[in-house]
Amino acid sequence: MSAVPQIEEFYTQRGKRARQLRDAGQKVVGYFCCFVPDEIIAAFDMVPYRIQGCPSEPIDRADAYIEPMACPFARSCLNMAVKGDYDFLDGFVAPHSCDTIERMYSIWHHNTPAAFNHFLNVPHMMGPSSDTFYRKELEFFIKALENWSGRTLDQEKLKETVKLYNRRRARLRELYALRKPDPPLISGVEITELMVAGMGIPACEHIELIDNMIAEVVKRPKPKHQKLPRIFIWGNEIDDTAFIRLVEDSGSYVVMDDLCTGSRIFWDDVPETDDPLDGIVSRYLHINCPRSYIPAAGNREEDLQNRFGHIGDFVKQWRADGVILYIIRYCDTCELDGPDLREHLNAMGIPVIMIEDDYSISTIGQLRTRIQAFLEMII
Amino acid sequence: MEEREPAKTTATKGTDAARKIRAMVKNIYKSCHEAQSQGKKVAYIMVSSQYDEILRAMDIVPLPTENYAGLCAAKRDMDRFLTKAEEDGYSQVLCSYARIGLGFDSLRKELGGMPENAPDGGMPLPDIILGSSGVCDPRFKWFQACGRFMTAPTYSIDVMHPPVHCDLNAVRDHYVQYQKVQFEGLIAFLEKQTGKPLNKDRLWETIRLGDEAWRLWYESDRLRTAKPCVMPSQDHFNVMVPAYYYSGTQEAVDYFQDLVDEVKYKVENKLAVVPDEKYRILYGGGLPPWHTMWFFNYFESFGAVFVIENQYRGFDPVEVPDHVKDPVEYLAWRAFLRYTARHEQAKANSGNPVVEKILDLIQDYDIDGVFFHACRSCRATTIGQIHTKNMLGRYSDLPMTQFVSDMVDLRDYSEAQWKAQIHAFLDAMASRKK
Repeated sequence: MSAVPQIEEFYTQRGKRARQLRDAGQKVVGYFCCFVPDEIIAAFDMVPYRIQGCPSEPIDRADAYIEPMACPFARSCLNMAVKGDYDFLDGFVAPHSCDTIERMYSIWHHNTPAAFNHFLNVPHMMGPSSDTFYRKELEFFIKALENWSGRTLDQEKLKETVKLYNRRRARLRELYALRKPDPPLISGVEITELMVAGMGIPACEHIELIDNMIAEVVKRPKPKHQKLPRIFIWGNEIDDTAFIRLVEDSGSYVVMDDLCTGSRIFWDDVPETDDPLDGIVSRYLHINCPRSYIPAAGNREEDLQNRFGHIGDFVKQWRADGVILYIIRYCDTCELDGPDLREHLNAMGIPVIMIEDDYSISTIGQLRTRIQAFLEMII
Repeated sequence: MEEREPAKTTATKGTDAARKIRAMVKNIYKSCHEAQSQGKKVAYIMVSSQYDEILRAMDIVPLPTENYAGLCAAKRDMDRFLTKAEEDGYSQVLCSYARIGLGFDSLRKELGGMPENAPDGGMPLPDIILGSSGVCDPRFKWFQACGRFMTAPTYSIDVMHPPVHCDLNAVRDHYVQYQKVQFEGLIAFLEKQTGKPLNKDRLWETIRLGDEAWRLWYESDRLRTAKPCVMPSQDHFNVMVPAYYYSGTQEAVDYFQDLVDEVKYKVENKLAVVPDEKYRILYGGGLPPWHTMWFFNYFESFGAVFVIENQYRGFDPVEVPDHVKDPVEYLAWRAFLRYTARHEQAKANSGNPVVEKILDLIQDYDIDGVFFHACRSCRATTIGQIHTKNMLGRYSDLPMTQFVSDMVDLRDYSEAQWKAQIHAFLDAMASRKK
């Protein structure tokens, strides 16, 4: 059976599976961003649910609670929450990922309180003391989950969950490798749907979907060769296919990304350490997100390489012809990284366009002209 | 060609102390230029990073880039820096302090020297750049981005505080230890840059001076509970200069002693800011509109005076336990205690420390209305204002208003809208008083 209908079902009816599992007796814990290790939630036999927004719906309620100069993704999520779309969440966890999400914690849990609410502090700096600090914060998080659930975290269960999640990561890397051929075997839109579908279902079910998708893709007839530009996308949240579809429909292949809804959340494994928290700390705290500060290193060129070298590697390995920096407006950390990243990529000879967007599909028409012009430029 | 008079941006002050600030601001930049000629290190810094006394103890001269952005706005000389940053690819909604700073740095690099007629002689190239995560994200990302325009060694520290729901007894050691290690990392970096070890006796002395200045500042604010108001908010947004930018110096202590004396005298003699004080307003939050500070005087022309602020306000004094014998540990403890001062109170009441602080100010200063300023480009001080207003509404029937513009970018400001909103707010306060 084709995996596509189920992926589309989970993509379009987000929360459906989580609601089913909740009805069956499991607790569902919603969380923001990349810095909440969902393995920990899953190890309590709860369902981790990555909170997403809805760019196709206007933000019509959230402005009574949060300022319009806040990240529109976060506002969209809150909009859904105050309308009751997240009424299936038993728990809510916000990490200190950025200024908006930090402030969102108080706004969210005062206005739409869940049974369990937790703020996870995450250092911005990187170094041994930050590892120690973050580990302690995770211990507080675990303790809070234990108090709420009345259960003690089973270390062996956490180890098993880490393995399961690494299996998913490996499958996703395998899936992303299908984008390396020219033309790629799978589209950016399909990848986005599969990634979003996985945000609200248990990891084992997501693995099954990925496996089925890989099996299906490799059996497809070889795509007709068309010389179209291969595009890499960098930015923050893309949890809707509209923008990716625009880029592909404008005459390109979206072949790779560094997004917090894409490769950023799964690329590196959690080391499988004796104490599972050791591995979790070392993986999660070192996620390459613009909100984290990578200490200055060497001269300008070396510093940029230190900060963005992994992106350059992706661009080379996936043979991208151009890069789109997709920044959701009011994201100060992405806005500040953008020009530096552009400099780094330009130095590699890669054309770059910076797009600032409102996290709304209503802006797609305006973006079309810019994207088309960019693609024409790099052909 | 007819010469146009420069637009008036500043407000008329109520105290002599506030009127002395202009010279102190000029001196910040002058002393940076002089310091470099004397072989001292000048550091780009971020205000309220909790490291001021360390810098003073190591003879590093602080160069506050955010303050410079405010200065450019007050001088209405910000557009060339904002547009330069935007030409370089920085968004028009990015923190406008950062845009002015980056635009200035870019222009200085392009020109190979100081931009012509730069306010107060301009910012010299720093020897060191010191960011922090205290207050907001751009405070370390901005300085990271500076690498495009200069090669100064750069270092940033975390300034972390726990969420309100936590058990302070359980998390205290964890937070204090992390903060201490962050400071130790900074000190090691500075020792390497200066080639001199930190003298801890000297650090104790700068801490003593820093604490004393802030204690006096707090004392002056407590005197401001008196009616009628003798020191308005526009003065506060000036007197913060020695508190933040001269922290750890005798100069700051002397300044605040004079301020306390002056405010005391004015209170005793009822030397009011406005002759017929009708409304007492709390500046509830948001960076001030440095481009248009005269709006305070506009309010005053209707008998409405801003009597106290919840922005750029010093932390209330805290008591670091006696067992702390190391000055670096003292700084870590002090930061923890400052940031958690209202956690227990919040847990027992509204659940929100900002709300608790504002409720205290409303009561202590006999407030008639609360004003917030939402800045288009400042996430840190803007997000949460509506939430704070909503929560305050559960405890208070005071009129509250939120004005929108920006701290330095005039393109986000509309005088006509502000005036209309000012009158609506005055009407609301009048109705409540009937």
